[in-house]
Amino acid sequence: MTPAAVSLEAVTARFAGAGGKEYTAVDGVTLHIAEGAFVSIVGPSGCGKSTLLNMAAGLLPPSGGTVRIFGDALRGINRRATCMFQQEALLPWKTVLDNVTLGLKLRQPGAGKRTEELGREWLKRVGLEDFGDRFPYQLSGGMRKRVAMAQNWIVGPDILLMDEPFSALDIHTRQRMEGEILSLWSGTNKTVLFVTHDLEEAIALSDEVLVLSAGPASRLVGRYPVDLPRPRNLIDIRTEPRFADLYRAIWTDLREEVLRSYAGPPSRPAGGPRQRP
Amino acid sequence: MPLNTARNPWIPFWQAAIGVFALGLWEWGARAGILDKFFFSRPSDVASRVWQWISGGSIWPHLAVTLLEALLAFSIGVVLGVLLGFALARAPTAALLLEPYIRMFNALPRVVLAPIFLLWFGLGIWSKVALGVTVVFFIVFFNTYRGVREVDPVIVNNARMLGASESQLIRHVLVPSALTWIFSSLHISIGFAMISVVVGEYLGSSKGVGYVISQAEGVFDTTGVFAGMTVLAAVVLILGAGVERLERWLLRWKPENSPQAGERDL
Repeated sequence: MTPAAVSLEAVTARFAGAGGKEYTAVDGVTLHIAEGAFVSIVGPSGCGKSTLLNMAAGLLPPSGGTVRIFGDALRGINRRATCMFQQEALLPWKTVLDNVTLGLKLRQPGAGKRTEELGREWLKRVGLEDFGDRFPYQLSGGMRKRVAMAQNWIVGPDILLMDEPFSALDIHTRQRMEGEILSLWSGTNKTVLFVTHDLEEAIALSDEVLVLSAGPASRLVGRYPVDLPRPRNLIDIRTEPRFADLYRAIWTDLREEVLRSYAGPPSRPAGGPRQRP
Repeated sequence: MPLNTARNPWIPFWQAAIGVFALGLWEWGARAGILDKFFFSRPSDVASRVWQWISGGSIWPHLAVTLLEALLAFSIGVVLGVLLGFALARAPTAALLLEPYIRMFNALPRVVLAPIFLLWFGLGIWSKVALGVTVVFFIVFFNTYRGVREVDPVIVNNARMLGASESQLIRHVLVPSALTWIFSSLHISIGFAMISVVVGEYLGSSKGVGYVISQAEGVFDTTGVFAGMTVLAAVVLILGAGVERLERWLLRWKPENSPQAGERDL
């Protein structure tokens, strides 16, 4: 059997909390994500979804357990993955084109001409061919997300990590971006790990939805294969009966966790755990 | 028409009007005998003195010295400030150890250093350059330090995920981020460089605009003092405008109303 693209084996994440107390964000989570799969992680806010993603990215070494990427234990940054963040991650002092080609320039400096051609190609694919010379602040939020998308895909990662990438967008822009992600992904053998708090988004996009319990010490409480046929029509899929069934089934699990997170355990430090820089 | 709109064409007109009015009042007061000419001079006298200096060429060597000093102070201060700011921002332990000392030196009024620098570096340009450096250095140092420390961690993480090595991270992310802060403090730095070298000249020198002012003061020549101030103000204004244009170009990727670096006293 081929190794999973991403394996988290009993990973735990602890942070120094308020008053010298340790805060456990994620406790002994094990999950395997097959190559080529589109998997979403949902859970109430503050449940450690992003922590899991950061561990898969290699940005946060786990306090316990092992992260394996295609079977190899991960040390340092995950070179086979890129990550799309919820916040603005473009370099504001670089033009759109320079932002898109950044990864190529970092990975193989001195490939000048070809890099720029590829950059223009990708700008075209995300519909921004006329905006290459602009700076990020001159673009709308949705356009900036497209730039980030091109910036991530251009380096040809095997794994795409996405940390609530569209949560700051309005609903229509968001649906369009979801559609663009799916069309970029379909037909490739890339693995996508998608973190979101929006269950509808998770079901509409994914092959599998994982539910994480409320923090602290989040665990995996459910996994649901999504057997909706592909290619999917994101506009209509939400009204299909099968979609509603899945939504109801997952929501029963998730609802409990959301309610638990409202109750709010007293030991949680204000503002939640900070990710180490 | 409301005056406070950004591109009101009448703004320059009213700006000039305020100046003309103030100078007119001054001139009138001096001529009418309300202001004592000995203490306050007269705008027309000051103007003719400035013209005399310029047409006679006597001011140029002094101005050249002052500009040279300011430029040296500015360049050395910027280089030292950037290097140390960068080093300390990347070495948090060292920064923690040195912090009280840096704060202490920054709290010193630089004017009190001038006599010491005179002793150390003599009456020539270097004592003034040293004084200017102590001022420019701290402005640039704090801005660099802050710039490097306050890089958005998301941008850093993104660059690392895209494959940035440690040195690439410095080149593509940390330096540009710090440059924002340094550039936005450039015009403050150049102004302070000018001021501090003139203070240095004023306290002991044989050349420079500060020397001219102090000489005039020594013989109660108020017209000369005002003329020196006018020349200085004009030069700072011109330098400032130039730096501002450079700044705007270098920070063209930024939306309007970028945060200003904090101003510091001499």
